[in-house]
Amino acid sequence: MDCREFRENHCAFVDDTLPGIELVRMQMHLTECDRCARQDATIRRSLMLFRNLPPITPSADFSERLEKKLREARLADAAALQSGRSRKLAAMVGLTSVVMLGYIGMSLRHVDTPQDITFPPVVATASEMDPVTSPMTDPGSEMVAAVPAGLPMWTAALYAEQTSVRFASAELTATR
Amino acid sequence: MANIARKQAVQPQGANVREQLRAMDDSAVVTAFLGGEERAFSELVERYQTRLLNFVYRTIGDREKAEDLVQEVFIRVYRHLHRFDRSKKFSTWAYTIASNLAKNELRNRSRNPLVLFQMVQKNWQDDDRPLQFEDSTSRPDDMYRKRHLREIVEESVAKLPEHHRNVFVLRELEGKSYEEIAEITDCNLGTVKSRLNRARNSFAEIVAPYME
Repeated sequence: MDCREFRENHCAFVDDTLPGIELVRMQMHLTECDRCARQDATIRRSLMLFRNLPPITPSADFSERLEKKLREARLADAAALQSGRSRKLAAMVGLTSVVMLGYIGMSLRHVDTPQDITFPPVVATASEMDPVTSPMTDPGSEMVAAVPAGLPMWTAALYAEQTSVRFASAELTATR
Repeated sequence: MANIARKQAVQPQGANVREQLRAMDDSAVVTAFLGGEERAFSELVERYQTRLLNFVYRTIGDREKAEDLVQEVFIRVYRHLHRFDRSKKFSTWAYTIASNLAKNELRNRSRNPLVLFQMVQKNWQDDDRPLQFEDSTSRPDDMYRKRHLREIVEESVAKLPEHHRNVFVLRELEGKSYEEIAEITDCNLGTVKSRLNRARNSFAEIVAPYME
């Protein structure tokens, strides 16, 4: 083992994490190289000094101060949670309002704009004339003759007034 | 009378819980806290306050600030424990928080010369302390030598570059494994080993003249 390899492995050597064979090789190098042996001793002694520094302990009021800070943190968290909930609620109310206003606006728009009424297509069928079941569709031969002939309308109106009578007579004729 | 009887009934139960918590490992204590047992947090504080305080103090070199930072560590632990990955070690997590806070403190300090001045001034005041505070059983010359040596060791640690010092303190003072240090400092294993090696050599080099 040369000095470079010794230095590379020194960390693991101090921490006792080298495998057996490597450990023996390192120890062998220490007996052979004074410089590395001195360096090894210096590092180990300095580490010993550092590890033996007196530990410091928390001050007497450490727990009290920590408890106070924790209380404040709890309050702050609760307040944040509360404000978060309020924000959510406000957002929900706002959203609902927007949706409702939108709906109302759309409804009003539909009312304002005139729309063409579309009817279903008219299908006309010619029904058979039956004087009994559909008397209204039978204007009578007099009316048919009078209107295109340019007779005054009062005559047509007169005929219309007489329809009930005519219906009754038609029914009478049918029963007979 | 009823109150006294109730207190007597409650106290042993509370003491019993504390004993149970003391017997648990960190993971079980964390589980107990997350399960609603507030006393479990006190147990965690008790276990880690001194260790974290020493770690932070050796890293930043200011006792008062170290206490503040350790308190901040516990507040963060309290607030975020529900997010802690319980498949990992609690101690590693706590040390990671402490290490990050210490790093931030050193960064802020380097940007603020006033803080540096206050720290130096504080150290001067420390030098003026009477010797009897050291160890009343030692001879004065021994007391002086010990105090002097302690100061030299502390100053030597402070002279190490920040990232070397962090690794050095975690290994030498806290006895963390290389893997844990890698996790705490967010470095790979090779970096940890190389930093530790350099830190040890530099530290030995600074301290060596005072050891002869």
